[in-house]
Amino acid sequence: MDSRISRAVRLITASLVVIFAVSGLFAQDDADPNSPTPVLYTFADSARALAQPRRSFGRIEPSEIKPQAFQPGSRIVVYAGGLQPMEGEGANAYRVFAVDASGHQFRYPVLDVARRPNSRNVFAVTLQLTDEIRYWNAPEPDGDITVYLTWRGLSSNRVRLGLGEMGGKIKDEGLVRSAPLGSIAERPARTVEQNISGYRWAGDRLRFLEQATFGPTSALDNRIRRIGLRSWISEQFEAQYPSVGNAYPIFPLQPGTPPVLCDGGADDVPANCGRDSYSMYQPQTWFFREAFYGEAPLKHRVTWALSQMWVTSGVDVQQGRHMIEYQKVISNNAFGNYRNLMKQMTLNPTMGGYLDMAGSTRTNPNENYAREIMQLFSIGLFMLNPDGTVQVDTNGDPIPTYTQDGVNNLTKVLTGWSFCPQNQPTLCPNQAVGTVNYIDPMVINAAANQSNIANNRHDLTAKTLLSYPGATTTSLPACGNCTTFANVATYAGNSLDQAIDNIFYHPNVGPFVGRFMIQHLVTSDPTPAYISRVAAAFNDNGAGVRGDMRSVVRAVLLDPEARGDVKTDPNFGKLREPVLYATNILRAFNVRGVSTPQSDGYMYARGEFSGMAQVPFLAPTVFNFFPPDYGIPGTTLLGPEFAIMTTGTAIQRTNFVWRFIFISPPVPVAPPNAPSGTIVDLSDLQALSAADSTGDLLIEELNRRMLHGTMSEGMKTTLRPAITAYASTDTLNRARQAVYLIAASSQYQVQR
Amino acid sequence: MNETRRDFLKKTGGCALGMVSLATQMHHLGTMSAMAQATIDSQPLGGENYKALVLLYWAGGNDSNNMVIPNHSDSAVSNYSAYAAARGGQGLAIPQASLLPITVPRINSLTYGLHPALGPTATGAINGGIHELYGLGKLAIVSNVGNLVRPLTKAQYGQSAFQKPYQLFSHSDQTNQAQTGVANTQAFTGWGGRISDRMTPSQNPTGLLPMITSISGAQLFTSGQTTLPLAIADSATPLNTVLNPQGFGTAPTGAALARLNAFNSLRTQDLSSNYIAAASHVTDLAMQANSALQVSQETTVPFPNTGIGRQLRQVARLIKKRIDLNVNRQVFYVQIGGFDTHTGQLAQQVNLYGQFSQAMRSFYDEMTVQGVSNEVTTFSLSDFGRTLNPAGTGATVGSDHAWGSHMFVMGGSVSGGDFYGSLRPDGTGNYYPTLQFAGLDDTDNGTGARGRWIPTTSVDQYASVMARWFGLPQDAATLEGVFPNLDNFPGTFSQLNFLP
Repeated sequence: MDSRISRAVRLITASLVVIFAVSGLFAQDDADPNSPTPVLYTFADSARALAQPRRSFGRIEPSEIKPQAFQPGSRIVVYAGGLQPMEGEGANAYRVFAVDASGHQFRYPVLDVARRPNSRNVFAVTLQLTDEIRYWNAPEPDGDITVYLTWRGLSSNRVRLGLGEMGGKIKDEGLVRSAPLGSIAERPARTVEQNISGYRWAGDRLRFLEQATFGPTSALDNRIRRIGLRSWISEQFEAQYPSVGNAYPIFPLQPGTPPVLCDGGADDVPANCGRDSYSMYQPQTWFFREAFYGEAPLKHRVTWALSQMWVTSGVDVQQGRHMIEYQKVISNNAFGNYRNLMKQMTLNPTMGGYLDMAGSTRTNPNENYAREIMQLFSIGLFMLNPDGTVQVDTNGDPIPTYTQDGVNNLTKVLTGWSFCPQNQPTLCPNQAVGTVNYIDPMVINAAANQSNIANNRHDLTAKTLLSYPGATTTSLPACGNCTTFANVATYAGNSLDQAIDNIFYHPNVGPFVGRFMIQHLVTSDPTPAYISRVAAAFNDNGAGVRGDMRSVVRAVLLDPEARGDVKTDPNFGKLREPVLYATNILRAFNVRGVSTPQSDGYMYARGEFSGMAQVPFLAPTVFNFFPPDYGIPGTTLLGPEFAIMTTGTAIQRTNFVWRFIFISPPVPVAPPNAPSGTIVDLSDLQALSAADSTGDLLIEELNRRMLHGTMSEGMKTTLRPAITAYASTDTLNRARQAVYLIAASSQYQVQR
Repeated sequence: MNETRRDFLKKTGGCALGMVSLATQMHHLGTMSAMAQATIDSQPLGGENYKALVLLYWAGGNDSNNMVIPNHSDSAVSNYSAYAAARGGQGLAIPQASLLPITVPRINSLTYGLHPALGPTATGAINGGIHELYGLGKLAIVSNVGNLVRPLTKAQYGQSAFQKPYQLFSHSDQTNQAQTGVANTQAFTGWGGRISDRMTPSQNPTGLLPMITSISGAQLFTSGQTTLPLAIADSATPLNTVLNPQGFGTAPTGAALARLNAFNSLRTQDLSSNYIAAASHVTDLAMQANSALQVSQETTVPFPNTGIGRQLRQVARLIKKRIDLNVNRQVFYVQIGGFDTHTGQLAQQVNLYGQFSQAMRSFYDEMTVQGVSNEVTTFSLSDFGRTLNPAGTGATVGSDHAWGSHMFVMGGSVSGGDFYGSLRPDGTGNYYPTLQFAGLDDTDNGTGARGRWIPTTSVDQYASVMARWFGLPQDAATLEGVFPNLDNFPGTFSQLNFLP
C-alpha cells in the first residue's frame, strides 16, 4: 500500500474527527462537502487550452506559451486551477477527457499534477495524448478537439486543443469556455462555523441518502441535518437490524420434496405454506418492508450490495428460509470484518449447495466454489495496483491472479465439507428431522461413514496456495497424522483457515472490494484515487486492522469524490438499479399499504421486477443481475447497471412508474393471508398543487425531493404545460403528472 | 460518414421530434452507397435478398460429451466403450441403446449417437426434434469448438510462448470470449455487433429496427461500437405491446398528449451527462421500435411453451415482419441457461436438450412455412464444454468446467448430415476428440486428468463461416475488424464448409 495514500486518508479522518470533537456528540458540523470546481486555463483571447510540449516545460513559462498543435502520442502540459488537493492526492485523482468532432470520447492518461512554484492556484498537468480506453479509433490529427478535466466528480470548463493542427469544427461549440491565467480566485481556506450544528448542505444530504439508503425521506433528511453525516453513520453502525417489528420471517425447514400440505395447493396448512416455504416470497416481502420503513437503512443497503457480490439465488436455492439464513450471514458481517464474512460464507450451507462445495470430495472434487471465491468474492482475475488499475506484463497483457492449478489446489483444500448432520444437536442445534440443515455451518466429513477412516472425504495431500508479494504461507503440507476423523477435522479446519488467510491478505482484496462498494453505492466508474483511498481503509482501519467494513463504508461514503451538492463530471454517477429505482420513488411519496398505514412489502405482482430484470434474491446466475465491468455500448463508460437497461426493461421502468403513480395497483391475491399491497400517497403534493395554479411550487418541491435541486430550466419549462394540462382543480392528477414525468425521465434514471 | 446513428438520435431526440421514423433519419444520414440505393429501389427490403442469423446460446457450459456420443465399436477411433469407460463408473454415461443414431461420412461413415432427448421422445414433445434434421441434411455438427487465440497442440498448451485464451474454464471470461470472438484480451464489442456495425448502412439503410435483436436481454454478442441491440421479451408478450409505454393510449389527446410530448422532450435534454444520455438513447430506441411493431404478426407452427420456445417464436414473428420492417439482414440472440451441471446433470440434460431441440424444430418448421428456411441459419455457442471425467457420483453426478465442445448449425442452406471441424494442428487426430484422460486432446496430465478438450476449431473460425454466408464483406480490413485473430487460422473455409 502506498503509505502516502493511507496518510492522506488518516489526514482527512483526523480533520473530521477534530470537528467532531469540537462540536460535541450530536451537534456536529461536517466540513463543507463541496470541492472547488477545477478550471483549465486558456489563452486570454480564446478558449484554446494553455498547453505546451512536456519537453519545453520549465523552460518556457505559462505566460510565454504560444498557441500550437500537438502530435498524437506526445506528452504535453496543460494548466489547471481551482484545485485543492489533499496531501498525497496524486495524478490518479484527475481524468482528462477528449471529445472529437463526431462526439466520440477518449481519455488521456494524467501522468503528473504539480503545483507551480510561487503560484498557489496554477497546477501543471502532464498528459499523454494516447487514448487509454481504446473504444473508438483514435481521433485524426486534423484539427481541434474538445478537452476537459474532471476531479472529484466535478468537471472543468471545456477547452480547445489542437491535434495535428489547430482550428476546425468541434463538438459542442457552445460549451467551450475561456479561462485565462489569473481569471479565477482561489477559494478561501475552509472555516468551521462553530455555531451551526449539523449538516446544512441540503443537496448533499439527499445525495448522501441516495447512496446510503433505499431513498431519501424527510425524516432521514431532518436527522442528518441535525446530527451530520458522520454521527449518522456511527448511529447506523449500532442500529438494530432487522428493525423492530420486521423480524426475519422464520418458516420451518422443509423436506426437499414438498409434502402434500405444503405444495402450494389450496389445502396447504398453514395457508400459503408452499408459497411461504418453497419460494422467495417471504424473503422478498421482508426485504421490501425493511427497505421501505427500516431504521437501519445503511446496513440494509450495504447488505444488499454485498448480496450482489456474494450471490446465491432462488433460481437454485429451494426454500425462502435457506435464503434468509444466508442473508443473515451477510448482514451480520456487513459492519464486521471481511475475513469473517469469507470464512462464514465458505461454510454456509446455502452457498455450499449453490456453488457445490457441499459434497465436493477428495475423489470427486468440484471446482465451482474454489474458483468463484477468488474470481468474484475477493481478488478477481488480474493483479491490481493499490488504486485498482490492472497490472500488466512486459507485453502489456494483464497479469492473472491465479491459474487453473491454483483453482485445483484450493479445490482440494475445500473438499470433504457437507451439511451439518442429524443426531448431533450440540454441533447442529438447528437440525430438523427429514430436512437438510441449511442453517448451521457445514461440517467436515459430515457425509462420510465414520466407521472407517478410508471413507474420509477430505484431500490429505500437500497443496500450494496463492503466491504473491507479501504472501506468508504459500503451501500446505500433507497431513501427517490423519489416521482418525478427529485428526482430519483438525487438519481440514486449519487448512481452511490458512487458505482463507492466504486469499484475505492478497493485495487485490482492498481495491477489489473497494471498487465494488463504490460502484454499488456511489458511482460506476470511480477514479483510481477514490478506489485507493477506500482500499487503504480496507487495508488498515487506522488501528492496524485489515478488512474492517465500517472503515470501508465510511471511506466510500465520506470521500470527497462522493460528497458535494452537485456533481458536474459527465461521467459521474450510476444508473439506478431497478430495486433502488423503485424504492427511491416509493419512499419519496409516503409508501403505504392499500388499506394499511404500512405496506407489507408486496409489490403488486412480483412481475414488476421481473420486467425490469432484477427480482430480489433471484439473480440469474452467480454473476449477479449485472457484472461490475459492463461497458455501455457505443460509449466509453463503465456502467454495470446498464447491463439490464435494454429497450425492453427501459419501457418496463416507465410502466412501473405509471402503475404506481397513476393507477395504484390492485392486489390480485385473495385471502387468506393475502398481501395488503403497496401504494403511494401524494396528498402533500396535492396541497402544493392547490396552492399554486402555475405548477411551480410542485415542480420546485419535486426538484428538491427527487433531483436534489439539479433540475435544469429546460426540464422545468417542459414540465409546466404538461402539469397545467390538467385543470387546476384536479390537484391529484397534476401531482401525478409531475411525479410521473420526473420519475420516468432519463434525468432521474441516474443517481448522481 | 462522420456521424453515428447514436449521435443522430441524440441530437434529434429520436421520435421526440414528431415521430420522425428511423428510416427517414437513416436516409438523411447519407449512409447509403449508390449500389445499395439501387438495390433498395429495385426490390423491397426483406424480400428475396433477406438473410438472418440466430445464435442459440447454451449458458453455463454445455456438456456436449453427452450430446454427441460414439455409437460404434471401431477401435481405431474413440468408440462407445471408451466413452462408457470414462463416464459409466460414476453413472454419467448415456446408455448406448437409447442413442439416436447418426451417420458421419467424414469419420468413415461410422455411427454416432445423439442424446435421446433430441428426438421425438423428449418430455412433452410436440415434434420430432432436431435429430431428424440431421438425416435430412439440415443439421450439421461442428466438433470440438472453443475459444482459441491460435491453433494449439497439447505440447504447445504447456508452453507460455503459445498464446492461450485468458482465464480458461471461467464462465464469465469464456462467455465473453465466445461472444466477442476475441480470446487474447478483453473486448468491448461482440462479433454480432461488429457485423451489424459494418452491414447496417448497406443492408438495412432504412430499417425500422436495429439489425440485432436479443430476446434475452443485453448481451456482449449483440453490442457493436455503434450498434445497440433491440432487446425485447419473449412471445408471451405480443410484438405490439412488447415495448409499449403505458398511459398514453393509441391516440392521446389533452393531458395524455401533453404527458407524451413532455416525456419525449425530456429525453432530448441534459445530455451532457453521459449516463443520462445513455439512458435516453435506450429509451429512444425502444420508442422507435414500438412504433414499428404496432402491427403484430403471428406464427403458424406450434411452439413449445418453454423459455426457449417462446424466445424462438418471438424471433419467428419478427422474421415474418421483415418486409414491414425494411430489413434485409437480421441477427437474433436467444439463450437457454442451466447448463452449469456440476451436479444433477442427467436429469438436467434431459430437460434442457428436450427444450431446445423441440424449440429449434418448431422454428425450423416455421421458417419452412414462411418460405425462408434457406435464408435463416441457427447456430449454437456455449461458454465451454465440460470435463469428460464426472464430478461426483450416483444420482447427483455432474461435470466440471472444460473447454472445447460440439455445436449445432441448422438451416436450409446448411450442408448438414455430417461433422465439420479440423484435425489437430499437427495433422493427427480426428473430427471428434480422443476420449482418453491425459491423451492428446486433454489439457490435463497424470492420474488426475479430467478430460478437457483442446479445441480444434476456434470460435472465431466458426463464427466467420456464419458471417461470410450472411454477406459480411471478405476484404482484409473488414475481416480484421470483425475477427482480429482469424489470420491465425489459415484454411478456415475449406475445412468448415457447412455453409456456402
